Amino acid sequence: MRFTVTQIPPGASTSLNLLLKRGKIIAFFISCLLLNAFSAAAQGNITVKGRITDNSNAPIAKASVTVKGSSTGVTANDNGEYIIDVPSNATLVISSIGYTTTEVEVKGQSTHNISLASNAANLNEVVVIGYGTQRKADVTGSTVSVKGETLSEIKAPNILNQLQGRAAGVDIVNNSTQIGSGGQIRIRGNRSITGNNDPLIVVDGMAYGGSLNDITSENIANLDVLKDASATAIYGSRGANGVIIITTKHGLNQKAVTTYSGYVGVSKAIDTYRLFNGEEYATFKAEAATGNSNSPNTNLYALTNIEKTNLAAGVSTDWQDLLLTTGIRTGHDLGVRGGNERTQYSFGVGYYRETGIIYDQSLDRYSFNINIDHKLSERIKVGFTSFNTMLRSNRLGTNAYGSATRLGPLFKPYNDDGTINFKPASQQGVDAQQINPLTSIGNDDLIKAFQRRYQFQHNFYAEVKILKELKFKTTFGYGWSQTFNSNYTGPNTVFNSNTTTAQSSLNESNAEGWQYTLNNSLEYNRTFADKHKLQVLALQEVQKNSFRSQRVNGLGVPADFIQDYNLNLVYTLTAESNSAGYSESALIGYMGRAIYSFDDKYLLTATVRTDGASVLAQGHKWTTYPAVSVGWNIDKEKFMQNVGFLSNLKLRAGWGISSNAGINPYTTLGSLGTNFYNFGQGTTVGTNFVNGYTINTSPNPNLSWEKTSGLNIGVDFGLLKNRISGSIEYYNTKTSDILLQRNLPRSNGTNSILTNVGKTASHGMEFSISSVNIRSKSGFTWRTDANAFFNREKITELQLGLKQDINNGWFVGHPITTIYDVKKIGIWQTSEAAQAAVYGVKPGDIKLEDVNKSNSIGQEDRQVVGDFQPDFVAGLTNHFEYKNFDLNVVLFGRFGQTVVATYLAADGGGAGYPFFLNSRVNQLKVDYWTPTNPTNAFPQPDAGVDGLRFTSTLTYQDGSFIKIRSIDLGYNIPGSWLGKSGISAIRAYVSTQNPFILWSPLVRDHLGIDPEGNGTGNSVGTTAGGPTPVQGRSITVGMGVPPSRLFIFGVNVKF
Amino acid sequence: MNYRSFRYSLFFGVMIFASTGCKKLLEEQPRLGFAPTFFTTTDGIQGGIAGVYSSFRGQWATQIFTQLYNSGTDESLRGAAADVQHWFTYNQSLIKSSTGDYEGFWNVLFIDINTLNGVLQFGADADIPAATKTQLLAQAKFLRGFCYFYLVTTFGQVPLHTTFNTSPSAADSPAPLADLYALIIKDLTEASNDLPNTPATGTGKPATKSTALFLLAKTYLWRGWSSVAQPTDFTQAYTISKGIIDNKATYGLNLLPFFNTIFREGNEYSSEVLMVIDHTKDLKFGQNSNPGTGAGGPSENKSNFFWRSGYDLIKSDYPGTAGATVVGRDPQNGRPFRRIRPNAKYILETAFANRATDQRYDGTFQTIWLSNGGSYPSGQNTMPAGTNGATVNGKVLINKVDTAIWLRDRVVTPAERAAFKGIMFEPDYLPGATIKFTDQMFPSIRKFDDSTRIDQNDYSDRPYILFRFAEVYLIAAEAALKGGATTQNAADMINVLRTRAALKDKQTPVEYTAAVAAQQITAAQVTLDFILEERSRELFAEDCRWWDLSRTKKLVERVKLYNPEAQNVADHNMLRPIPQSQIDLVTEGPKYPQNPGYF
Repeated sequence: MRFTVTQIPPGASTSLNLLLKRGKIIAFFISCLLLNAFSAAAQGNITVKGRITDNSNAPIAKASVTVKGSSTGVTANDNGEYIIDVPSNATLVISSIGYTTTEVEVKGQSTHNISLASNAANLNEVVVIGYGTQRKADVTGSTVSVKGETLSEIKAPNILNQLQGRAAGVDIVNNSTQIGSGGQIRIRGNRSITGNNDPLIVVDGMAYGGSLNDITSENIANLDVLKDASATAIYGSRGANGVIIITTKHGLNQKAVTTYSGYVGVSKAIDTYRLFNGEEYATFKAEAATGNSNSPNTNLYALTNIEKTNLAAGVSTDWQDLLLTTGIRTGHDLGVRGGNERTQYSFGVGYYRETGIIYDQSLDRYSFNINIDHKLSERIKVGFTSFNTMLRSNRLGTNAYGSATRLGPLFKPYNDDGTINFKPASQQGVDAQQINPLTSIGNDDLIKAFQRRYQFQHNFYAEVKILKELKFKTTFGYGWSQTFNSNYTGPNTVFNSNTTTAQSSLNESNAEGWQYTLNNSLEYNRTFADKHKLQVLALQEVQKNSFRSQRVNGLGVPADFIQDYNLNLVYTLTAESNSAGYSESALIGYMGRAIYSFDDKYLLTATVRTDGASVLAQGHKWTTYPAVSVGWNIDKEKFMQNVGFLSNLKLRAGWGISSNAGINPYTTLGSLGTNFYNFGQGTTVGTNFVNGYTINTSPNPNLSWEKTSGLNIGVDFGLLKNRISGSIEYYNTKTSDILLQRNLPRSNGTNSILTNVGKTASHGMEFSISSVNIRSKSGFTWRTDANAFFNREKITELQLGLKQDINNGWFVGHPITTIYDVKKIGIWQTSEAAQAAVYGVKPGDIKLEDVNKSNSIGQEDRQVVGDFQPDFVAGLTNHFEYKNFDLNVVLFGRFGQTVVATYLAADGGGAGYPFFLNSRVNQLKVDYWTPTNPTNAFPQPDAGVDGLRFTSTLTYQDGSFIKIRSIDLGYNIPGSWLGKSGISAIRAYVSTQNPFILWSPLVRDHLGIDPEGNGTGNSVGTTAGGPTPVQGRSITVGMGVPPSRLFIFGVNVKF
Repeated sequence: MNYRSFRYSLFFGVMIFASTGCKKLLEEQPRLGFAPTFFTTTDGIQGGIAGVYSSFRGQWATQIFTQLYNSGTDESLRGAAADVQHWFTYNQSLIKSSTGDYEGFWNVLFIDINTLNGVLQFGADADIPAATKTQLLAQAKFLRGFCYFYLVTTFGQVPLHTTFNTSPSAADSPAPLADLYALIIKDLTEASNDLPNTPATGTGKPATKSTALFLLAKTYLWRGWSSVAQPTDFTQAYTISKGIIDNKATYGLNLLPFFNTIFREGNEYSSEVLMVIDHTKDLKFGQNSNPGTGAGGPSENKSNFFWRSGYDLIKSDYPGTAGATVVGRDPQNGRPFRRIRPNAKYILETAFANRATDQRYDGTFQTIWLSNGGSYPSGQNTMPAGTNGATVNGKVLINKVDTAIWLRDRVVTPAERAAFKGIMFEPDYLPGATIKFTDQMFPSIRKFDDSTRIDQNDYSDRPYILFRFAEVYLIAAEAALKGGATTQNAADMINVLRTRAALKDKQTPVEYTAAVAAQQITAAQVTLDFILEERSRELFAEDCRWWDLSRTKKLVERVKLYNPEAQNVADHNMLRPIPQSQIDLVTEGPKYPQNPGYF
């Protein structure tokens, strides 16, 4: 048997794998039966040989042939031929990546030519559908399935990075460049306006309370995504945002197989921000003096003497370069899987380490997993799953990149004696105290940002076959996590410009949560009269979550090495206000589901779930969710049998309701605001010092869930004997009862109340296609998996019938990521001076669209200028195989979204970006206007103002991109080389992640490094007045640590 | 193991486990804060009451509140740094778009009312000792009456809610005035029956029986003046007031003998005081920001800021601006916010015209600033006494000895000016005045002085005196004049206060006797204007003037007569506008009406 990672199965489209020639499979089974029937009872060992082929009779090279229940096994040669000595009554297990593992009883027969079915087209493949599995052919909802191996192709610390671009309808966007960070995941877009839009994560059947960072992909057998309401209704009150179901690797009924996969790689910044160099910076300051609107031709921040000297000496410091280093990423996973008829087991240990492209940042993760399944008897099966992780990180969020991108290039980083130039800008008034960003490197006693996180999840189950058709199963899962943060910032670094430890700051926080789930189910499976298949499930579930946290801040310790180790020595300790967190919630669910199929042609799934939730008010705790979906395997119809090119065709339709568990615990009870009072000047607590309470929110017994109902229509197809397969889905989703704060007349005695008043709607289409482009006899294979989707979401109703709620950035008819601001239409040119003067501005200033033609720019001129919703998202994976080589290339693209590049603006106030800013500091090199450079891109620098007016309009940029996510080249070392080393397979590979951005307007125009986003919010307000044009929830591109490109060498070894 | 029994026991075991306790699982117990049901406990009821008292800190003695309820009267004019200037000038068009000024007061009082409704509703069923419960619920009734009193006297008809709101609605409408007064009278009457005669020792001055009676008397007085007046209202107001005075020993009340000591630091819980909004040095329970950090807290007592002139702006070459600062900003002189200034002509010629035998002018206004050599913002003034300060007209001021600024009540002669080391200011309205009072430099109020602060910019940690015993006499006098008793009774009441005001510093007994005699008035002298002027003398800057003029329907007449800056005053200004947000947010049922004249 070859190691499972050696060949990459299709990714996003595996759920749509309907590529099998049904006739062949049936013939195969019949031949097996016949063979069995004619074989005599065997005695002793015999030699069995044969040829292993695929369904087009092409040989399958290097297929694994083992004897079931023993350690005996061989590997077929490149022509698919094998020879093996086995007991005459043995059962052979034949497997090869990309094909369905098949068992054949020897029965004394010495030749077994075996045809393996491609599992890329395996209609018998089961997919996970929530509280159970279903044959792919019978599925009626909208699901997508991704193999663990596919995820592992991307060497990233978490599943979100690995899933990006792999599954239609699953949109994942980075929102941080911090190492170990995940991203934002949306399944079919946003539905909730104020609540959570994250999907539910289920691991091995249990709702998962931990972070996706805690799950190693090496431990994942399969990842399934339930997208439409008919599929998610089974999760009732938690299912509206889609469900990601992770199935971990279980043991196998086979001899023990030990696998090791390890890799080591280096990461480098994909680029640095293109800032002004020394000379350009000097010119910029001079131009800013020219443009000075307050005192023409002066610059308060003109070059200082130090800078002038350095300019003459040709100094041009690249501060970014000095802060960046080479990061290392390495992962090692060791697994043992095996078992026999009665007991199967799987153990895994893993270690992952990543260091940042910023010095001293590190992340280590240790993991340990166990899976055991055991048959107590023919009727009773029990099992245990445990997965455990510990994460330790330091300085992840800590970097001096912000200072480094501002500090002028005409300052020297080091003194002549090699020491750090501590305050490089010492001659420049306001910035004189700026400490050299290089103090962020090293200084371990002064800079600590440590986090340690433990997470475990333990599941137990017992399964009893009460009758042949009736199975009872009980599962109990318990998860726990704890996060400890320990931070210290000592004096005299770029992070703390104070000079004594009296001003050193520290904080410590602890958070822990636990969760248990218990479910009991009865499952009835029966086929009546050969054609009526019925599967009925009744389930009862209880889930409870608990969370608590505290944080303490400190100011001043006697010495830096004390850090936060001894709080008793800290001068001032305070509990962070509102840092205490506590919540508990519970859910009780009853669910029933019936799956019926007639003659494998007509399929019906009906679900009903009733959830009782602690977070809802007394008397209103229970909600019921119905769903129904139907399917029609058209290819099974007689009239389709002669349509040669069409090998598979299925129509699906479904409707259901689910909701989003977006009500925080205790919300319905009402709450009291707290204050304090003193009665008299005594200090007796309770008599003099009294805690006070006034009404904050009223009890709200009518609060209910946000409900999403959705219609989904899908077509699955296979063409040309399933060499091309795919699916098309259309969905239309409406969410109502959206939770919105409704402001009340103040005479109610409460300011606002959370009510179910809003509505959103979304619709979209998803396309997935997989094709075997070339499969030559010479062994060359080229396969392509492509997916593309678009989602159109919009708000359709707000509180009080409002058409727009500008404060909250909600606009009926638009997505929730809408940007509302005045619109830049260019730069006023010299020839337009008179026109510009009408608006009180001059050539070189930003020209804005005067919507109401009032000859002035104000709030009325604001309009919707963009949103973060892409026009469409696409992923493309190409697989090439030739003899022992395989190559995978993953592309990913998002198109049509507007991103906010926050550093292209400054408001001269709180937001404090360096954009122009009196020309005081360095910044991104932009094509700015001067009388001799009449550009329409950016305005004229002005040394007379902190922030130019209306610069918010400069930040809205086209965020489209096409990226190569990874290129992965592997080589399977031939079995003959391995000989009797005990190693059965080795795959060695080189891989690069994020190698290129193929296309991106933002990058093309040198306005950024990566349009994908590295944070949220942080945009400046609009000079036009009114609230912020970009909401804090929006993903934005800031001038932070650049994203990195990774080169990896790795091996997968199987013993 | 017998598998059959295993599987059945497993099955039933699991089922039993799963079904028991399910119901309990769905119950919620918050632990970070409180749900309104907390009002069923002693701590909850006490906390609800403390919470309401504490909420008043966000109104009285804060910046906007102080300006809103003192502006646009006969007593005061706009300070140089005033915020809500349209209320100083009755700029009616600006007022129309600024009804949100009153939102804070409206909002907090209705939240308090809802809180108190919760306390009264849940508290009635609370399992606590009856005596404790009675006391606590009486406090709650007093406070609810208090909140409605201020709503009705400020806005007129307002919504009336007497039950805890569990089904908030976007519909609401004003209740009949008679119903509102009836509730206030009922609440205060019941509170006065149950509240103790005196506060528990060491608990400062929360509401007691006499406080409830005081507010009850005042409510009758208000209703007597109102459109829903009952024939007995003024009699009730007089009788209740007189009852308080007659039983003052029982209530631990008495007038302090010397006017200046009423507001002296440390006297906030004296026998003169009926109720305070309490403050303390303690940062947490006083809800104070760290001293020296600029008084940023919304609950701090900043009464010491607003009526204070810009003494630190006066240079040695005044009215030039190039010279040295003659008086630096320091903790003793306080933070000069210059939001409101006394109406000099009114105080000097009308209210405090008699400064010879009446101490209250000197007891109310600061007119003298000693040189201190300091210069804000270069740090706190620590110049020792006797050192040299600024030089004015070639004369060196001696710190803490020489008067650097003197606000005179008349025009001075050149000779007087020449003989004086510092700078003398003259009332701006007087012909011949050379260096005049301005909106920066004016007589400041000394009632709220707090010298014990660390930083010149700090808030005051003094309890804010809300009601004091002297006003009981003025209520009684007004009620008597309006038919609740005889005008002689009214004169008698007023004479008590005027007699006290005769006591002056460094006065001989003969002088005192003469002053007392001069201060007495006869029944014939008692008019409504006289009472209003007596209120000015006694209660100046104690945040009640606009209400007094509004109650007595004298607002327009007196403002037009005395306030040259507020000639736009109109009848409808006797009510304040309903905050626009209230009108906008009533989105169901009938539109919520604005008070007449505001729209």
